[in-house]
Amino acid sequence: MNSRHALAFEDVSVRYESGAVPVLSDVTFSISAGERTAILGLNGSGKTTLLMAAVGLVGHEGGISVCGIPVGRDTVAKVREKIGFLFNVPEDQLLFPLVIEDAAFGLLARGQARGEAYRRAGKALDDLGSGGLAGWPIHKLSHGQKLRVALAGALVTRPPLLLLDEPSAGLDPPGKKALSQVLEGLDAAILVASHDLEFVERLCRRFIAIDDGRIVYDGEDLSAVRRKWGMEDAQAGS
Amino acid sequence: MLAPWHDFWGCAGGPVARLAPQIRILAGMALFAACLTAPAGTALGAGFIPVVALSWIAVCGVPRRVTKSLVLLGLAMFLPYFLLAPLLVGWRAAIADASAWTRAFTAPWDVFLHGLAGMVVATATAATLSASDLRRGLVALPVPRVFAAVLIQIVHQTSGLQFESKRVAAALAVRGATSGGRTALRVLTSLPQIWLPRIIGHADRIASAMELRGYAESDPCVFGRAAIRTADIASILAALGSLGLATALRCRWIA
Repeated sequence: MNSRHALAFEDVSVRYESGAVPVLSDVTFSISAGERTAILGLNGSGKTTLLMAAVGLVGHEGGISVCGIPVGRDTVAKVREKIGFLFNVPEDQLLFPLVIEDAAFGLLARGQARGEAYRRAGKALDDLGSGGLAGWPIHKLSHGQKLRVALAGALVTRPPLLLLDEPSAGLDPPGKKALSQVLEGLDAAILVASHDLEFVERLCRRFIAIDDGRIVYDGEDLSAVRRKWGMEDAQAGS
Repeated sequence: MLAPWHDFWGCAGGPVARLAPQIRILAGMALFAACLTAPAGTALGAGFIPVVALSWIAVCGVPRRVTKSLVLLGLAMFLPYFLLAPLLVGWRAAIADASAWTRAFTAPWDVFLHGLAGMVVATATAATLSASDLRRGLVALPVPRVFAAVLIQIVHQTSGLQFESKRVAAALAVRGATSGGRTALRVLTSLPQIWLPRIIGHADRIASAMELRGYAESDPCVFGRAAIRTADIASILAALGSLGLATALRCRWIA
């Protein structure tokens, strides 16, 4: 596996129980540094499982590497330092009562001094248009605000790889546009799992479609995915 | 968006709320112990307990609305114990011996006074602690790390559970076309099939996030420790003094 790849999957299969039908089957792809890629698939196609496997939250067969580090039991902590992760329900990853505390945690956990960690967390929130939320309690936030805070927590450590699970879900159109603009301005490689074609079209240049845990398309033509999903007519008519 | 559970934590704004979080917790524990230790059956003890509880509420600066709800809840919880008194006396003894009534009221009075005061002190202490303060206070005390982490997450995640419960109730009310008591009954009977699996799923996702973000491995004091000042030392000494006084009253060193 190439160390220039931000993320590489090689013949990866995932089963939740031994002997069961695999949720992912022989998945092979790689993402270069700075590349923005979308994983597209219908509900239950294996998108979230793929992201979970990349950070070692589910076991896998085959090889996964992040920035050249193979994902395994002994290396998982190092791997996770390289990744910013956004769960599909952002409130699940907000573990601290105040916005600024949650956003700064990643830096504090890595030994950054408190003042500097809070300053950088404040900047990350500012960049996402949420600077005014710094002193807010998490439970007062709307879904969109929680998503931005969770994203700030993921971005604050400036990871070389971002894994985002349904980042546009529940956002209004201006919120989606603002989010894609923020993500476009990052240097990190980004893998977005989504079925929001409009959002990923704006953000990504490469599209990987999975169906029943297998890659069925990997290329730059989103209309190929639309055709697969039977959406070509709707697109032409709109 | 209302979250009464979270809005309660840290709602007090009195002098105690400005002490170091660990001192608030320790002082609250000492006064809680004092209220339980002092004897309710002597005049001094029966005077001491409400004075401690009411003084603590005052210096904590618990809002009047919260205090009123708290006292009403306490009365509803502990007054019914007095209904047991006739059962403890027995009608034959009641006729034969008037002092039997006094004896029968001793146990409910004990439960009432200790219970109400303990509840008031504990709740007032909690009202001085925001969720952030609670974490900073717990990590500064020698409590097991797992216990502190679990307690902190219970406080932090409870509003999520509240909203989840409200969503289940709303869905049941709309889909079952019920309202009021019938909805409440349906929610209650649905706990094992609907609520519990959702909560387990929620807990599972939070556990994944904690693992991914390195919550367990991180230094519990990453957000810093509160400095101890003279006011903190004076407060903890006063609270320990109250506990000492309660012990003296219990042991009848002070008549």
